Amino acid sequence: MQHGFYFDHKRCVKCHACEIACKTWNEVEIGPRWREVVKIETGTFPEVQAMNVSMACMHCGDAPCRNACPVTAITKRADDGIVIVDQNKCIGCGFCAWACPFNAPQLTATAGKMEKCNFCQTPGKERPLDLPRACEEICPTGAIQSGSMAKLANQGRKTAAERLRGANMRGFPSLMLDAHQQFGPGSSD
Amino acid sequence: MSVTTKDLGSQLAEIKGAEVIKSFCYTCPWQCPTEVFVRDGRIVYQKGNPESPNNIGSRCAKGMASWYVSQDPDRLTTPLLRTNPKGERGEFKQISWDEAFQFIANKLKLIADKWGPEAVALTCHHDPNTVFYHHLLKDLYGSPNMYAHTSGCEQDRRSACLTLFGHVFPMHDFANSKFVMLWGMNMLGANQGLWESRALIEAQAKGCRLVVVDPNFTETAQKADEWVPIRPGTDGAMALAMCRVIIDEKLYDEAFVNQYCEGFNGFRDHLHDKGYTPEWAEEICGIEAATITRLAREFATTKPAMSAIFKGSGYYTNGHDAGRACYILDAICGEVDKPGNIHLKDWAPLGAPVEIPADAMRQPEKDPLHIAMGYALAPDLPNSRLPDAVINGDPYPVKGLFVHATNPVMSDPNRDRVMEMFKHLELAVACELYLSETALECDIVLPETSFHEQAEIRQGMWLGPEVVLCQPVVDRVGDSKPPYEIVKGIAEKMGWGEHFPYEKWEDWGEVMMKDVPMSVDELKEKGFWADEVKYNRVPGGLPTPSGKVEIYSTDYVNAGFNAYPEFTERSVIPDEEFPLQITHSKFSMHCNIVTQNNPYLMEICGENWVEINSVDAAKYGIQDDTYVTVESPKDKIRILAKVVEGLVPGCVSIRHGHGFGHWAMGSVAKGKGAHSNNLMDTHTNPVTGANCYNECKVRVRPAN
Repeated sequence: MQHGFYFDHKRCVKCHACEIACKTWNEVEIGPRWREVVKIETGTFPEVQAMNVSMACMHCGDAPCRNACPVTAITKRADDGIVIVDQNKCIGCGFCAWACPFNAPQLTATAGKMEKCNFCQTPGKERPLDLPRACEEICPTGAIQSGSMAKLANQGRKTAAERLRGANMRGFPSLMLDAHQQFGPGSSD
Repeated sequence: MSVTTKDLGSQLAEIKGAEVIKSFCYTCPWQCPTEVFVRDGRIVYQKGNPESPNNIGSRCAKGMASWYVSQDPDRLTTPLLRTNPKGERGEFKQISWDEAFQFIANKLKLIADKWGPEAVALTCHHDPNTVFYHHLLKDLYGSPNMYAHTSGCEQDRRSACLTLFGHVFPMHDFANSKFVMLWGMNMLGANQGLWESRALIEAQAKGCRLVVVDPNFTETAQKADEWVPIRPGTDGAMALAMCRVIIDEKLYDEAFVNQYCEGFNGFRDHLHDKGYTPEWAEEICGIEAATITRLAREFATTKPAMSAIFKGSGYYTNGHDAGRACYILDAICGEVDKPGNIHLKDWAPLGAPVEIPADAMRQPEKDPLHIAMGYALAPDLPNSRLPDAVINGDPYPVKGLFVHATNPVMSDPNRDRVMEMFKHLELAVACELYLSETALECDIVLPETSFHEQAEIRQGMWLGPEVVLCQPVVDRVGDSKPPYEIVKGIAEKMGWGEHFPYEKWEDWGEVMMKDVPMSVDELKEKGFWADEVKYNRVPGGLPTPSGKVEIYSTDYVNAGFNAYPEFTERSVIPDEEFPLQITHSKFSMHCNIVTQNNPYLMEICGENWVEINSVDAAKYGIQDDTYVTVESPKDKIRILAKVVEGLVPGCVSIRHGHGFGHWAMGSVAKGKGAHSNNLMDTHTNPVTGANCYNECKVRVRPAN
């Protein structure tokens, strides 16, 4: 069963706690950012709108990073669809970073190898899949959830979730955005 | 396969091979209860205490990264004594604790003999265990001048709430609200009270309307149903006009104002006499009269509702009345301390840790500084006036200053004047984690333990009464000491050692907890104590002079001020030469002046900047993401500029200008960003004594 994240931008206040939780749990050095919260602003004063998105690896159904890797260092786990990098195989060529549409792969400063969100499956620190991910556990406003895409499909608005039950579709990112909600302030739902 | 959150901590600790210790985080003053994971004497992870109502298991970035402070190689490790004259950048030699205690005790005796104990003051911001310094310097030594940071914070809010409701620090019951109107308050952007952030987001999901009045399109404005981009320093005018609409259209709560408010009729006449109408406010605030009228109607007719301010409405010389006006909206609509309103929180029955017998207490002979300075209504020291006392002896000489967990050289306005002040002190003591900018100006620097290395029991910052516990989870850095041991050491040299008899923190913990129905052992297991949230204190009487909500303020009248809030213009208005008003905003991943040496937070935000509206940027030739010179009549800085749409034209917003541009503190912090607090001259709110950081006009041009 494909696993992924559910993200509700209406709840995200761009506090960056998820980034630090990710970094602390997985013991990631300064430099690579497995998760990053970005803010998109649109409009002209005073009609301004903004949206925050907490971005990490999407654990894509048909992961472009895996397809781009010349040394098969990137694999997709059969049971849960989590995309994993084998640091021993990685040669640090960066092809995966070029191929990824979400800028998820991060080259480490010291080892020169690629690393990225591994769904808290860092060797020796694996979180069982029935526990929350570090980013999810820490979020003050409950903006991030993780789990099987089937479980996430039942979160939030059922219609949108069903529509985005994309993990079962080849190539679709395993991320659910709460897409029913309008962008920025002024929405009435 | 689901697990309860209660099990989560131990499951995760097992994975990490760590022990879990219940504690709280003191990176910011909201003190979230935590579970700290410790392995081999180091913190390897921290999570929120899932049972705590403060944070419901969650944390913020600042708190999550705070483990670093317990391992930071830039921390102070020994006491330091200045070796060169004051006024020069401090040079220090290492001394023993015994020498440090003796040095301080000698100076304290000298000051008491020559100028009296009132000539010693203490200032703090984050006040970990400051209570011990109070026992020493106030109870035993006899100085009434124990102060904190509020004049640099929400002094106007505290003063407004004290005079109106008799409560210094109302909380916000967002969870039950249907209409929240926030003035100059970026609750979600600061993201400190995590239960408040969560409650506001959950309330919105349930249909609560959020209106944010702010010149800045803040993180909170971003989430709002309506952003009201008001001109800086005019919140009071808009709030008074809203009151007028609500009263004229008889939308107020008649029973509530008749029974529980003092001076409603007088206030109504006052609004008419002064001509405070939406049309009048439109001219001042830059917000259409129709919008003001509509918002007034919506506020008055949606129940429960809340109008609340924080720092942004202050920082001006008119901030005191802006605060009162915004809270009178709550009062006339009967929206005080019911579910969904501002909440007049009960405090926990927490005692003092040290019991000093009455005959050992020394009573001060002089008034505290704020009274002597003429700020009878100031809830805290008017910081910006402290240099007058030190340099000129006005209103009386201050010769000794303890600076505890704060950095006034960075945080107070008019840096030149603050640095000048330190030259004139007979004794300046920095109790610090780092060799900070202020420590560099002091005579002696005492290395304190961080909150990870010391115990503390405090009032919790949740809606209901609460006690939170911080435990030492790792060994102390170097030869640092917690405040209790520092105070005890000085007290022994003063001959007062008998009052500090405790061998371990649990001993004074039991004294503090004696009226709380929980033992220290239980507290160590659980991490906090909380009681139920109670509402509706108004009918039972409030601790104001009349026992009612004081729209007519007896306190104001007794202190010689206006009984009802008025609108006056702020003091510094932009002109042709300096056409832009300064405003200030903060970052969610930094707290004041304490987080900039943390490389994990600096990775997310390693530099501060100034924001400018695209209209003004075009006018002054400013490109996004380039460096600019921001110049006031007093000083200029070079700082990164961000061209934005979410800011009222005619002003700039300096983000975290007091916390960046360090020239000391540590290797990570040093040289990053720009310190902006020397741009402004000294402006003090005439009633509350608040620092008026926004009373400053500037011009901006591309930097070379």
